[in-house]
Amino acid sequence: MSEALESWFKGFLEQVRIRKRQYLLGALEIVLSALTGFLVAALILYFIGYDPWYIFEIMLTYGFSDLGYLGTRAAPLIMTGLAFSIPLLAGVFNIGGESQLYMGALLGLYVAYVTHNVWLGLIAGFIAGALWGGLIAALRVYRGINEVITAIMLNWTAYYTIIYIILVYLPNPKQSHLSIQLPVSEMISYGETFTLAVVGALIAYFILYYTDIGYKIRVSGANPRSAVYAGFNPKTAIMASMLLGGGLAGYGGTLIIAGVTGSIDTTMSTLFGLGFTGIGVGLLGRNHPIGIIFSGLFFAGLIIGGQWVELLTGAPPYVTDTITGIIVIALSMPYAYRLLMNYVGRLGKK
Amino acid sequence: MTSNEYAVEMRGIVKVYPDGVVALKGVDFLVKRGEIHGLLGENGAGKTTLMRILYGEIKPTRGEIRVFGKKVSFRGPWDAIREGIGMVYQHFTLVPAFTVKENLYLSLLSVNPKARLSDAISKADKIAEETGLRIPYDEIVEELPIGVQQRVEIIKALLRDARILILDEPTSVLTPIEVRDLFKALRKLRDMGITIIFITHKLKEVKEITDRVTVLRKGKLVGTVETSKVDVKTLARMMVQREVVFKIEKKPAKPGEVVLEARDIHVIDEEGVERVKGISFQLRKGEILGVAGVQGNGQRELAEALAGIRRVSKGRIILRGKDVTGYNAYQRYMKGLAYVPDSRGTGLIPDMNLVENTALTNLYRILGWARRIKWDRAVEITSRVIRELEVVAPSLYAPIKHLSGGNQQKVMVGREIVREPDVFIVAEPTQGLDVAATEFIRKTLLRLRDNGKAILLISTDLDEVLQLSDRLAVIYEGRFLAMGRPEEFTIEKLGLIMGGIRE
Ligand SMILES: Nc1ncnc2c1ncn2[C@@H]1O[C@H](COP(=O)(O)OP(=O)(O)OP(=O)(O)O)[C@@H](O)[C@H]1O
Ligand SMILES: [Mg+2]
Repeated sequence: MSEALESWFKGFLEQVRIRKRQYLLGALEIVLSALTGFLVAALILYFIGYDPWYIFEIMLTYGFSDLGYLGTRAAPLIMTGLAFSIPLLAGVFNIGGESQLYMGALLGLYVAYVTHNVWLGLIAGFIAGALWGGLIAALRVYRGINEVITAIMLNWTAYYTIIYIILVYLPNPKQSHLSIQLPVSEMISYGETFTLAVVGALIAYFILYYTDIGYKIRVSGANPRSAVYAGFNPKTAIMASMLLGGGLAGYGGTLIIAGVTGSIDTTMSTLFGLGFTGIGVGLLGRNHPIGIIFSGLFFAGLIIGGQWVELLTGAPPYVTDTITGIIVIALSMPYAYRLLMNYVGRLGKK
Repeated sequence: MTSNEYAVEMRGIVKVYPDGVVALKGVDFLVKRGEIHGLLGENGAGKTTLMRILYGEIKPTRGEIRVFGKKVSFRGPWDAIREGIGMVYQHFTLVPAFTVKENLYLSLLSVNPKARLSDAISKADKIAEETGLRIPYDEIVEELPIGVQQRVEIIKALLRDARILILDEPTSVLTPIEVRDLFKALRKLRDMGITIIFITHKLKEVKEITDRVTVLRKGKLVGTVETSKVDVKTLARMMVQREVVFKIEKKPAKPGEVVLEARDIHVIDEEGVERVKGISFQLRKGEILGVAGVQGNGQRELAEALAGIRRVSKGRIILRGKDVTGYNAYQRYMKGLAYVPDSRGTGLIPDMNLVENTALTNLYRILGWARRIKWDRAVEITSRVIRELEVVAPSLYAPIKHLSGGNQQKVMVGREIVREPDVFIVAEPTQGLDVAATEFIRKTLLRLRDNGKAILLISTDLDEVLQLSDRLAVIYEGRFLAMGRPEEFTIEKLGLIMGGIRE
């Protein structure tokens, strides 16, 4: 085992040595985009009458001060980031992370509630998300239906169905706007929530880079013709990436239930948007599970900071949303652009 | 002498790639106006790098460039195009899903936004008239044979008024007849005053077409000479600094049992066109069966069907006594079959490193418990490929797209050779390889044959198939038109059969 570790480490160092320039340029790109993002955001704040320095100060100090809370908020984002990135590595656009997370939250909550065991809940959450993601993949693979369209429709289907289920079948007798509630004693701590998210990301990393199915996923996305030449079934790669990505989103949904809320509210306010934000998390993390852990933390910090800004300055939510939005777009733009050009370039060659 | 004598003057060119590879170490490269100038050198010598610099695609680390006497510093190819430079890459830059005329129009638009489609066509017509490079306008590019696509590329460059035309290994994918047509066109272009830079690994071609030739070696200039004053041997010595044997020893074959058999196979492509129309053959241990033919006559579909990448619509394939018609490629590879495709775009994943690329067809050999990939095993195999084929690469972990074309080819062929496959289907194994590497691959194929392996060699290089094959088949429009011993064919006779003429 230690030998394997040693050879891995050697390979890793060699990789860093050979791609030093590329990594440095990547880092530089991130720093420059962040600066651009903050600059544009500052200008906008200035013009609508806020003091940019003050706002940023609140965002960054309050956003990143409570590490336990930061990690917990980051956990679902890391998962939805992976839910976007893993299929993308196989060449599939999964914008269904949103509803895969919902499904995981719902089933995870139910199973954890019934069995009094969050671990079973987490497994159920994973399965629910995987099946929901697998549905998109199956429609694409066996019926040729574009995954983006299916995902958009399924997102809304899941949204309303879950609200209905909560209201009708799983209502909370004490609080009418909530679903059944996990007892606090059965929930997990903030630290555990974040740790479980990191473990999820590490497993994703291992699968992608150290197993045959992960390799097949990456080859299918990077050069479909090579995948066919090697005799890999492109359908398998798409299915596997969506099952894994969807599963992780579902697992992330259960993490929120098990670690933070213990229940789902009837407007889904604690879940809504996490899947979409995951797209930014995945792009900023450069589609790499380890990068996604950090970008998830960064995003969570911005979101928490934004809420503090609202609280302390009375700024309406759209102001902070705009600010986070601009920063996120600036950070993922260069990479997203490259991905898009790649995708467009390949369309003709299919 | 005034500097106006030269179309291109590159002096003291140094190129250090971002990963620290020094590709050019101070090269002087001078091309006279209106000449055909050959550029020679081993794989990885820096030829493509030098030309990409001239074309403005990458910037030199140091050095001065003059074009028609004017000092230039290009920010991108568009600057170079404006100065009258055109480049035809080995892998083409046409939009595959567009028709020929759309591609031509697109390229004309990039220099003249007000151009109309009719302008592009009338101009292309004129060029075709003058050079003899005939092209169809309404066909989709990706459906055209490589030779025709290349003509479109050349016309595309000329449309933009190129006065200096760079051709990077244009002949490595062409049949002798296509090469002859290309050379005719190049001579006409020269007579029209266009300067041509011509990269090739085939010394015969250098002798035939160029006026002067420059030889590079490991990023340094060996020299520039008048072609008429040197012979092929001297050129080879300048390139590799040792004697090259052009004749390969070949022992008589000792064919054994049949290991691959095709029984009346038919293949239909994505468009519903039947590309292989009933081919049957038996391939025995210890023999090389050559398949000659003009590209686009079904040899790719045949190879892919045999490898399991494509389904046959009819017929059976028997591999080592077992009917494998229903097996996929991966299963056939595990049964001892290997296939080298005719295109690196299929065989390699540009963004992945050497180890990951080697893993592609060796995957079943490096899987451990629970389908885990044992990367150290993959590293071992890759190191062997690098050592045995003398691949020039900065590191095992460099993305393969950073290797020179020939070195990529070595990885693609080498990763199959080290598997010691029982049945080996190779298409264009030496395309883009220098003389030494070509010699090595050919000798290796013969060694595998002598060790009892069965080889199906598909090549448009007639010298290659004639030299290596024990039996030779000629493919034309999806059928084997002739089958016989190589001695029964001459180049002329082969040429006729390849064109569909049976005596
Ligand atoms: N993009 C790149 N990044 C890093 N190194 C590169 C890159 N392109 C080429 N090289 C290196 O530069 C050297 C010269 O490569 P180049 O492609 O110019 O060779 P070449 O003479 O065209 O060879 P070939 O005959 O094989 O095509 C090689 O060692 C190659 O590995
Ligand atoms: Mg080259």
